[in-house]
Amino acid sequence: MPNPRKPDGSVVTTCAYCGVGCGFKAETIGGEIVRMTPWKEGKANHGHACVKGRFAFDYYRHPDRVRTPMIRASIDQTWREVSWDVAIAHAAAEMQRIQAQHGRGSVGAVSSSRCTNEEIFLMQKFARVALRNNNIDNCSRICHSPTQFGLSATLGAGAASQHFDSILQADVILVVGANPTEGHPVFGSLLKRRVRQGARLLVVDPRRTETAESAHCKATVHLALRPGTNVLVLNSLAHVVVTEGLHDAAFIAARCHPAEFEQWRALVADGRYAPEVVGPEAGLDPADIRAAARAYAKGPRSTIYYGLGVTEHSQGSTGVMCLGNLALACGMLGREGVGVNPLRGQGNVQGGSCLGSWPHMLTGYRFVTDDAVRATFEQDWGLPLDPEPGLRLPNMFDAALAGTFKAIYIQGEDPVQSDPNMNHIVAAMKAMECVIVQDLFLNETAKYAHVFLPGSSSLEKNGTFTNAERRVSMVRKVVAPLAGLEDWEITVKLINAMGYPLHYDHPSQILDEVARLSPAYQGMSFALIERCGSVQWPCNPQAPEGTEVLHTQTFPRGKANFMLTGYVPTTERVDERHPLLLTTGRILSQYNVGTQTRRTGNVAWHDEDLLDIHRQDAEARGIRDGELVAITSRYGETRLHARISDKVSPGVVYTTFHFVQSKANAVTSDLSDWATNCPEYKVTAVEVAKVPANAPASARARAGARA
Amino acid sequence: MSAAHGDGGGAVIAIERLVAMANQIGDFFAPYPHGQREEGVRNHLRHYWDPRMRQALLAHFDTTGGAGLHPHVLAAAKLLRDEQQATRKAYAGPPPRS
Ligand code: SF4
Repeated sequence: MPNPRKPDGSVVTTCAYCGVGCGFKAETIGGEIVRMTPWKEGKANHGHACVKGRFAFDYYRHPDRVRTPMIRASIDQTWREVSWDVAIAHAAAEMQRIQAQHGRGSVGAVSSSRCTNEEIFLMQKFARVALRNNNIDNCSRICHSPTQFGLSATLGAGAASQHFDSILQADVILVVGANPTEGHPVFGSLLKRRVRQGARLLVVDPRRTETAESAHCKATVHLALRPGTNVLVLNSLAHVVVTEGLHDAAFIAARCHPAEFEQWRALVADGRYAPEVVGPEAGLDPADIRAAARAYAKGPRSTIYYGLGVTEHSQGSTGVMCLGNLALACGMLGREGVGVNPLRGQGNVQGGSCLGSWPHMLTGYRFVTDDAVRATFEQDWGLPLDPEPGLRLPNMFDAALAGTFKAIYIQGEDPVQSDPNMNHIVAAMKAMECVIVQDLFLNETAKYAHVFLPGSSSLEKNGTFTNAERRVSMVRKVVAPLAGLEDWEITVKLINAMGYPLHYDHPSQILDEVARLSPAYQGMSFALIERCGSVQWPCNPQAPEGTEVLHTQTFPRGKANFMLTGYVPTTERVDERHPLLLTTGRILSQYNVGTQTRRTGNVAWHDEDLLDIHRQDAEARGIRDGELVAITSRYGETRLHARISDKVSPGVVYTTFHFVQSKANAVTSDLSDWATNCPEYKVTAVEVAKVPANAPASARARAGARA
Repeated sequence: MSAAHGDGGGAVIAIERLVAMANQIGDFFAPYPHGQREEGVRNHLRHYWDPRMRQALLAHFDTTGGAGLHPHVLAAAKLLRDEQQATRKAYAGPPPRS
């Protein structure tokens, strides 16, 4: 008898849990996945992996997975199981009816970074050829849309300038608003390794994170700034650079527009950004600001990594520009060991951004309002495209409340749980006539849906992912899709049902279409990726096997641009009724809103979202460790158990948002980034109070419930 | 305006929020010199905002003279009406010096 524990099949694929995009060998016995082994040849991970990638895979066969399409006439009815044909025909008919009645602009779609590049590309094609509008957005709207905006504005490309391994040549590592050792573990280990080898680590983060301080890795300078003061502090770093003459004049003369540099220098040199002025406002020691700026400017190789702590602010795009400006001023671009690099949350956030799933941009970050760009798509797709930008995700919800937006097709996303100001989103959902949700599970949003299309996990499909270092890797089908179809096949069916004939034999043909229509992906194909293992864009005749480091000779627009980044404080302020600042984040063992990891053994590591509060603030409110507390903002209330922590400063409280029950987003505001409407998750003024022992039992039970 | 005729009609966002959003964009471009400042706001509204949002802002401008809008945002809104500006190509970097 053969050994029953010995895998009889193995497929190399890419982890979808974070933007590192580790390569794995998925091993199966009799068609069931039994083990995920980190792939030694994986260029993003070189055989390393974290607990999420290794162990959180069994969600794919969880009993909660929906296996049959379902429809219902209204959200108070129970679901009716139907065939794929019936569900697709119904969804298409509803969208057509609504467009006929309420206008072409009354329907839209949202794509997911859980899905492959090919699937994301098809979602934006769906909006453009089937809905005939540009109402298409992607989930990076709520996390990294400011990255695309801010890096495009300064450097000309909305993506990381380096490959991960480049950090091993850095002398100074500046981490801003990110916690890679928890959020991007495999990359975090690389960072720690470099710090142990002697690189100086500078951390800008309101919390004493694992990255800032752990047993083997301690920041040389930690700027624990007050939430909401990023732009102020980053301008102060720039102030020190220009007033102490630490900038790289030769680099600026050769690679930037000198007049723009002068304009920017005048702005940041203003006394308002002097560390001695900024320090008290941001809760920092001015000497630390100077020390950090000097270390970064001195290098000789200094690199920047940043995350949602930069982007999820009302000045998120400005914050990203500050980082671009700083790197330009110090000549820290275009070689190994330097650069500006966003750390992406979910697996394919970079793909979501590249593949034109935007209301104002087609693939390759080109404006829909540009006639010449649109013409190339019109020729390929054989029909005229809407020349006006469409609605962004938050604007779709606003329009739903205003009564002019009536239907939405949501792929692999859970806006009711993950978007800010939950009460507002729920009202918007209820105002729509047709909500189509395509997901693995009946998520929170599905409560308000009329059509449910059961999607496939990344273990059940073929395609590609683009990780945070622009690396395009293969996602391979390990097991058959549980509900019969890969996500791209569902979208193709819908496009056809809407009257636009479309057919692909294999996702590789979709990538070929992407390559035809996007300069950065020009040379990409399944064949090339198979041969090289993975390929970083840009990939074109000049770089046939891709590009590890960007901006080595020129920037995409020739020269780079300094942007003026004046500090504008958020309107979300503390006052007597809301004296604390709440900031949110994520932790290692769970995947963002946790739809998948909550359904795996990984809950053993983290079974509840807690509120971190400083001892001083807790004592002032009579709160003891582990007690249930009510968190109230101007927008709503939620309840969590408190954890007394020295990781947060007095005046700041912190929570994660992995569990539905915690409703962290019931308290966050609807303020957003000026340029992209990316929500301001990182700053909400709140009050925290003990829940009295005689509080209604239901409230206590709700808060205490486990997923 | 009737939404049934397509793509131009119907309110999308409450005007108070649109004014706040437009002013936020104005705040970003405020440090730029006169001319560049207004142009930066115009480019953003033209190429990032759904036309229904732009129209609502312009309608607000017509009916109230632009109550609540910062002066250079008002100037940018006027530029949106200018035919010649309408043909300018979108850009992602800083507003060009005229
Ligand atoms: S979650 Fe990220 S770091 Fe962990 S295995 Fe997956 S891709 Fe790698």
